Amino acid sequence: MFELSSLKRVILGNEAIALASLSAGVGIATGYPGTPSTEIIETLSKYKIYVEWSVNEKVAFETAYGAAISGAYALTAMKHVGLNVASDPLMSSSYTGVEGALVIVSADDPSMWSSQNEQDNRYYGLHALIPVIEPYDPQSAHDLTIEAFKLSSKVKHPVILRTTTRIGHVRGPVELKPPSKPVLGKLIKDPKKYVLVPENARRNRLEQIRRWERIKNEIENLNEFIDNGSRDLIIASGISFAYVMDAIKETNVKANILRISTPVPIPKNLILKAVNEAERVLIVEEGEPIVEMEVKDLLYDEGIRVELHGKDLISRIGEMTLDKIYYAFSKFFNLDIIPNYLELPEEIPPRPPALCPGCPHRSSFVDLKKAIVMASFKPEETFISGDIGCYTLGLLPPFDAQDSSTDMGSSIGIANGVYRATGKIPIAVIGDSTFFHSGISALANAVYNKTPMLVLILDNRATAMTGQQPSPSKDIDIGEVAKGLGVKYVKYIDPFDTTSSIKTLSEALRWVNSNKEPAVVIAKRACALLVTDVIKEDELPKASVNLDKCTGCSICYDYFTCPAIIPRSDKKAEIDVYTCIGCGACIPICPFKAISLVGKKPDKWDELWLG
Amino acid sequence: MARVNILIAGVGGQGIITAGKIIAEAGSYSNTKVLIAETHGLAQRGGGVNIHVRIGDVNSPLIPFGKADYLVGLEAIEVLRNLNYASRNTEIIINSYIIRPVLPKVKLLSLNEILGKLRGLKVHVIDANSIALKAGNPKAANAAILGFLYSLGAFRGLISEDSFIKALKHESNIIAFKLGMGVKSMLKVF
Repeated sequence: MFELSSLKRVILGNEAIALASLSAGVGIATGYPGTPSTEIIETLSKYKIYVEWSVNEKVAFETAYGAAISGAYALTAMKHVGLNVASDPLMSSSYTGVEGALVIVSADDPSMWSSQNEQDNRYYGLHALIPVIEPYDPQSAHDLTIEAFKLSSKVKHPVILRTTTRIGHVRGPVELKPPSKPVLGKLIKDPKKYVLVPENARRNRLEQIRRWERIKNEIENLNEFIDNGSRDLIIASGISFAYVMDAIKETNVKANILRISTPVPIPKNLILKAVNEAERVLIVEEGEPIVEMEVKDLLYDEGIRVELHGKDLISRIGEMTLDKIYYAFSKFFNLDIIPNYLELPEEIPPRPPALCPGCPHRSSFVDLKKAIVMASFKPEETFISGDIGCYTLGLLPPFDAQDSSTDMGSSIGIANGVYRATGKIPIAVIGDSTFFHSGISALANAVYNKTPMLVLILDNRATAMTGQQPSPSKDIDIGEVAKGLGVKYVKYIDPFDTTSSIKTLSEALRWVNSNKEPAVVIAKRACALLVTDVIKEDELPKASVNLDKCTGCSICYDYFTCPAIIPRSDKKAEIDVYTCIGCGACIPICPFKAISLVGKKPDKWDELWLG
Repeated sequence: MARVNILIAGVGGQGIITAGKIIAEAGSYSNTKVLIAETHGLAQRGGGVNIHVRIGDVNSPLIPFGKADYLVGLEAIEVLRNLNYASRNTEIIINSYIIRPVLPKVKLLSLNEILGKLRGLKVHVIDANSIALKAGNPKAANAAILGFLYSLGAFRGLISEDSFIKALKHESNIIAFKLGMGVKSMLKVF
């Protein structure tokens, strides 16, 4: 926890946002883990306000919204694609407005460092008529979070704080504002406003537009015009401002600069003032031409024609870099910037992310693939519908066990459609947290519509990929949920117990084939990182290879691929003791019984893995 | 004011984010601005990762291609993957340690093959893992590399040794840092 009395700290942008919201008086904070947003809620959870990990972003949004319409100051944080899940209440929140304050943090991921797309959520501001505030570094993330709360409470309207990977996951010095007393609410009954039947919604629509006109004026002073006495104007939104400042220093060009921290809506008066002094305009923004479209729209209305560049010089693909700005500057300012960097050598071994040592998913995939064959299903005709989580890495060799993975909960939904189109029984693979997030409704659909499929739920007792946040599976038994939904075949397996897991999974596949209904198998074993968080490193047992028994068959390192199993030059296997955590998953994999465990089982070992 | 760009590459789990935190904290003790762009989430799971460290008069977090003053690999192959950030002027520091990618039948490169691809560049090779073991903490290879970087003058006029010692906190990290400062590179090509 941060000592809030010392006011200058070196922290992540996400931590700066969390601490700023405490300063603004946040009383309720909600979210669903997702890179690059996770540390906001993680940080807030260390302080004495109400903070929850909700089951999904829609519920997180509604929880914060419910608090904000009761007068509280609320924050909800999610990754960009999470806001898609919450987009239904987002649109309505703009119609009703709020009583206290509602700040929605949308953490976008240009370049897709940890996401399925790089959608630009500033569009949601245009779509929903919600102002979007965009910081340019950790310090401005702190300061603008406070401004977001002020704006929201002043105009009684939700506000989006849009960050990106290089805001939330950049560490830098931040001058902190001290915390204030959390603002909670009081019960307000105003059904004429909050019950969106057509009559009320039509009235709210007029109010929404009135608030929007007011917001256009209120946001002006969050932006800044730096007049350097030039006839060239650079308009830079969000983090592009930081890059433009550095590029100007390095290339010694002279230009006026307009920093945009509210890309939606743009500060009309400031832009007109800046453009009036300019002969040429360059708009620098990451992603989509949001500011560019708004500026062009404004200039058309005002009858202003000026040479204007934007996405013609700066790619909409990938995150902002200085290299992109150098290119734009070379064209705009007619500079001779010669790139000077080394080419990548050929034949660099690829290194995609991998399942951890001790990861139960590795065993689950090995078990599943054997079960498919054992049930006399043809592997090439069995569609494995994957989902979002660490187990998405099951797409990599040697597993090759994800044929699709597009959005949270998609495994079961897509499996429905694959079966209807092909008549081939699919397998949906989904994690426990993802199941609660948005798999339950798809499973209900499969039961209701009698869609034959095997649903394999990988219950590792955590939301693992984002850092082992808690999952509802610790409190709600997934098997009981499935039974409650009407699934007739529900079984549990321990993926490390390969023989019985393969048997159960193949039985389940045969059952689906004969009954033409969904079956659910729950592979229950904890994320290895939950275990190694508790057990000290020197207490871990270690696997050991008996080299007399090892034949060098390569199954353990080429077909199981635990990072701790390394091939020797004679093809026999050896264990990297610094990497091995002694989980024992490799023992049943060796056909020659050459692997065993050395060392004592630590206290609570089985309970940690299987509890 | 001076500006230094350091790109540190390696494999998820090698303590690269920690190395960044130490530099950032040491920077704050020396009243020098440091920005670190980190890699979180899925990519951390044993994949190739890097951090961008920018020190001094900087506003933006990412190092442009060719503009790394120092390119550091806590793992040797990862230096190659990040070579775009280097130019012929860049000093390249390689830990003589190779981690096998977690893929079936992967073809590894030896240290000599890696160095062969860096011919003509300014390369230092050190055995940071052994230094870490000598310091009594196998996880302190990152601190050892920071010590070596310090001795190359990467932080000159920006971050003091005392600031690093304060930021390193743990005894074994401080020992690894100091051993790293004193080590001569196994191979130095200039």
